[in-house]
Amino acid sequence: MLLSTVLGCGLKPTPKQQVVDLYTGSDGDLIAFRPDTLTCPTGALVRLTFHHAGRFLSARHNWVLTYPDKMEALSKDYLDNDGVVPKGDPRVIAATPMCDKGGKVMIQFVAPPPGDYPFLCSTHSEDMRGILHVTK
Amino acid sequence: MASTVAAQLKSPDDVKTSLRLLVQVSNDFKRQISAKNFARIPHENTEYTEAADALRSAIKDEPADFKAKVETRLKGAVAAFQKVSDMSADAPDADKLMAEHDKAVTTMNAVFDLFPPDLKPDPNAVPARRGPPKN
Repeated sequence: MLLSTVLGCGLKPTPKQQVVDLYTGSDGDLIAFRPDTLTCPTGALVRLTFHHAGRFLSARHNWVLTYPDKMEALSKDYLDNDGVVPKGDPRVIAATPMCDKGGKVMIQFVAPPPGDYPFLCSTHSEDMRGILHVTK
Repeated sequence: MASTVAAQLKSPDDVKTSLRLLVQVSNDFKRQISAKNFARIPHENTEYTEAADALRSAIKDEPADFKAKVETRLKGAVAAFQKVSDMSADAPDADKLMAEHDKAVTTMNAVFDLFPPDLKPDPNAVPARRGPPKN
């Protein structure tokens, strides 16, 4: 069964705003993103799709974008709270809902200022990580 | 001999992945025990049985005698991890659970011994970390 959930769908591109579609997923059932490096320009309206490509394990995944200096504290909080992503956490730039194996979830957000931003899965926050390169 | 079996495996990539899954879940068991997240251990046990099913699927086209050997050892490994899970529910004690987990890893390694060295994951390997290093 393929479930799709879209968050941030109320965002619409402003005139001249670039729209960028990004795609990532789990590396099958392994605890890793594939790809684990993404790139977009600053200010763009990003439409990100995450695909849980697992076939066997019932582990759930999501995609959470944060700031470099917030990564470890966020990771620890997720370990202590079973991967729950509280609404309104200022350390979180964008986050998809949880995704079951075989499913897809989507999120829209405006790309932050240029820099390298880490992303992680909140249920595997120590191991399942990647980087979003935001260019000028 | 494992090396003879290696040359005849029909789906070596699937086997390699499923063996990695067993190690991945075993490491998660260990992590939950270390963190004293005992309530999470039954969930890890569910994933271990799912990873075992992944291995069964990966060798489904292999000769019956080989599948029987794998199944015998795999059942032992699944039972060993089930015991860790049961202990976590009955009277959680991190030291005792870790000792039992070590025994379970030994039974898991017996499964791996049936496969060629190049397909066997390192049970102590830490998953490749992505993203920025820890501060």
